[in-house]
Amino acid sequence: MRRLAQLLAAGEITSTELVRRCLERIKETEPELNAFITVDEEGALVQAAQSDERRARSQALSPWDGIPLAVKDNISTKGLRTTCASRFLRSYRPVYDATVVERVKRAGLIIIGKTNLDEFAMGSSTEYSAFGVTKNPHDPARVAGGSSGGSAAAVAAGQVPWSLGTDTGGSIRQPAAFCGVVGLKPTYGRVSRYGVVALAPSLDQVGPLAATVEDAAILFSLIAGADPRDATSTEARPFALPAWDPQVVQGLKVGVPEEFFSSGLHGEVEAAARSVLRSLEEQGAVLQPISLASNEYAIDTYLTLVTAEASSCLARFDGVRYGERVPAGDVNTMFAKSRGAGFGPEVKRRIMLGTYVLSASHYEAYYEQAQRVRTLIRQEVARAFAEVDVIITPTTPTTAFRIGEKRNPLEMYLSDLYTATANLSGVCALSLPCGSDARGLPIGLQIMGNHFQEELIFQVAHVVEANVERVAGFEL
Amino acid sequence: MRMARLARLELSEEEIELYLRDLNGFLASGRKLQQVDVGGLAGTSHALTVGTVLRPDQVGESLPQAAVLAEGPEVMDGYFKVPRIVEGQE
Repeated sequence: MRRLAQLLAAGEITSTELVRRCLERIKETEPELNAFITVDEEGALVQAAQSDERRARSQALSPWDGIPLAVKDNISTKGLRTTCASRFLRSYRPVYDATVVERVKRAGLIIIGKTNLDEFAMGSSTEYSAFGVTKNPHDPARVAGGSSGGSAAAVAAGQVPWSLGTDTGGSIRQPAAFCGVVGLKPTYGRVSRYGVVALAPSLDQVGPLAATVEDAAILFSLIAGADPRDATSTEARPFALPAWDPQVVQGLKVGVPEEFFSSGLHGEVEAAARSVLRSLEEQGAVLQPISLASNEYAIDTYLTLVTAEASSCLARFDGVRYGERVPAGDVNTMFAKSRGAGFGPEVKRRIMLGTYVLSASHYEAYYEQAQRVRTLIRQEVARAFAEVDVIITPTTPTTAFRIGEKRNPLEMYLSDLYTATANLSGVCALSLPCGSDARGLPIGLQIMGNHFQEELIFQVAHVVEANVERVAGFEL
Repeated sequence: MRMARLARLELSEEEIELYLRDLNGFLASGRKLQQVDVGGLAGTSHALTVGTVLRPDQVGESLPQAAVLAEGPEVMDGYFKVPRIVEGQE
């Protein structure tokens, strides 16, 4: 990204040329990949022309003014269709920008389009989109991951230099791992969710995806920080791009939780992760075995909480103020018919499970119990971070699976096995590529840091990245 | 059926059967959690403990009415229109 910024600053390339390059690349690859739901060709070229004018007057809004970006389609963009990959919102145009969108626009970034996802971010493969599945750029017979599958695939295929996604149980990190890009789930509360369509507000975060650690850190610096319109972000500090320091691993205490290296973990994924750990040790880091035994309950806890919160959040889609309405004689039938027609199968499944979990006779046994187990998980993670600086694990148990392979919803949920803990405990975590399997599919490494330790995990990732071959990204 | 009614969600017979099956699978996961000894732990509703955030009670900017209504499936005289809710005279 620094190179693009230099070329723009020197006048060797214009924003219009950059946007055209992205649009060409999208036209070439999109028929196969389906990473986008909406490409705003006209709007992007208008924004690019404005950026070029600013540059001509030496009034660039930031070093990144004029660089294109893709935005996941559950993040509101004023006047630009925002569907959440749902039929219910197939023609919905928000009347305001999400805070993160406002912030990237303030830095001069050009929004080129809206990327595909599992409907309302419910899924781990982008197969549950009402707009078709997104294919993995490394093997189109395989999924790009999810729910931010479109945002990860768009970066991996070089359609855009970077993108925004959301992560509730792994939805940035898992597709980043499957597509061979870098993705960060920030600390809970570090980035405003205002204008982001909620899946589970106690877990949701917005974060960057990019081809390199530094690019992800730059995009994060543009969106982080307090926003009075999201009460959970009011204590959040902004984030400044650090000076990269390879010495950071000297004496760094790296926690290695044995539970993340056990049954179900694919051999090649384990080998790649262990090889990074060995290399860090050679560079002066201290590996420390730790136990996160409660991770055994992470998926069950996550599922209970996410279905409960989702069933409540999605009550707003009733066909009254926006979205699709199926007419009916009385209001309750109108709600039921509109929702029945507008929502896809996974959304209905989670609404049903969540309604059950929150119903008066089951609330205590399921929902409240899950909240208590969440406390257990949170305390265990806190104890771990009292002893170590970062925790390193594989991001996912396997590399990208085949489209249509996971038919059983419970099996699908297991692909978040290593990622959900960071959401439940609110800590930050990123995924970066650390090699490929025998089929050439990227393998992701997860680095978790304590609350608000994004700078540290970026620093460590930057050291790891130096020894790993880059597998994806934007080319001029 | 009762859950679908509570969720204001119209489902076909096949969907009800499917989600009933899923529910049974899902309840196994809930039962697993019930085995966990959480002692006297309180529940976590948010990952970071933030107190109630207050702001001064000041008049701010609102979205323009026309723009907001433009997204409504049915609007009339500055209102969102819905089917009749209360029985009785017009």
